[in-house]
Amino acid sequence: MKLSSEHNFVELLQKHQNIVHKICSLYTNDSDAHKDLFQEITIQLWKAYPKFRGDSKFSTWMYRVGLNTSITLYRKSLRRVESQSIEPVAYKLSYEEYDDTKDEQLKLIYAAVHKLNDIEKGIVFLYLENKNYKEISETLGISEVNARVRMNRIKTKLKTQLNS
Amino acid sequence: MDELELLKKDWETSSKNYPELNKEELYKLIYKRSSSIVKWIFIISLLEFAFWTLLSFAFNSSEDLEKMQSYNVEYILYPLMILGYGVLIYFFYVFYKNYKSISATENTKMLMERILKTRKTVKHYVIFNLVFMCICIVIGVYIELTNNPEVLTTLSRIDSEGEGNVTVFYLIVVGLSLVAMVLITVFLLGFYYLIYGILLKRLKSNYKDLKELITE
Repeated sequence: MKLSSEHNFVELLQKHQNIVHKICSLYTNDSDAHKDLFQEITIQLWKAYPKFRGDSKFSTWMYRVGLNTSITLYRKSLRRVESQSIEPVAYKLSYEEYDDTKDEQLKLIYAAVHKLNDIEKGIVFLYLENKNYKEISETLGISEVNARVRMNRIKTKLKTQLNS
Repeated sequence: MDELELLKKDWETSSKNYPELNKEELYKLIYKRSSSIVKWIFIISLLEFAFWTLLSFAFNSSEDLEKMQSYNVEYILYPLMILGYGVLIYFFYVFYKNYKSISATENTKMLMERILKTRKTVKHYVIFNLVFMCICIVIGVYIELTNNPEVLTTLSRIDSEGEGNVTVFYLIVVGLSLVAMVLITVFLLGFYYLIYGILLKRLKSNYKDLKELITE
């Protein structure tokens, strides 16, 4: 029974692992931290898997556990805190930093998104994943109005940062 | 074009660059040890419960009990012991119930609140213990001053032979007890806030951001 559950979980995770990578790319600044957060999200997903009833899509359920781990449960080690104290503009998203051909403007946008606080990053992530305000509000535990208002502020914030 | 729209267009295509882990690698990952703050809160809280329980055992040794029985103060001692252990059981039950309710599948706000609630239970337990410890010290000093034969002999000698001042003696004892209480309290609170301060700094900051977002 456990083996089959394990097998099912790993199969689903393998299929949707990009979601975890995408979350990690928003919440970490280097590949070591990315791997570390990826591991923690995987552990939390596995721990929470018995509660997955299948009444929502596995991917939707992953968004919630992944964001909760990144925003709330993940404990950064000192090494990673040190690396985060470096000016975020100097960073591009994990894995992006190896791609020198990336458009300069996109790099700046990614860097600006990295400067947002953890909650705002969560909103941006769900927005980029084409989630509507209802889904964003349900995932974070805020109202739809709150999500909409904050999204507009984030857009203004990004515009101001990029034009300064 | 809106910055986020530009980002959105790139989002889908850039995701193809992520390394793909195979099933074996994923199998290995799910059994790795978690280093989540919930796990650390659980470990530290258990250590706190253990610390206070061991401390109460240390002060309730058979020798101490025999001494107290000889003073005929069981009517104070036993209710205090029952209160101490009763409160321990109550807090541990509430702590465990709150801990079990923490789930990564809740929404973010609820998850944060559940973690903070679990932590608060232990905080209240520690505060109770500090107050309880101070009350016990006061009662203990009073019992010793009124029942300990050596203290009584010293007091009567001071009084009858004029070797010193009884008031000064009382002041020294009360003063030393106060200093001990303050030192223990400051040390434990400092230690406590340092540990939880480091552990919960990010969670509290994110919770504050979330609350601000809700109230705006």
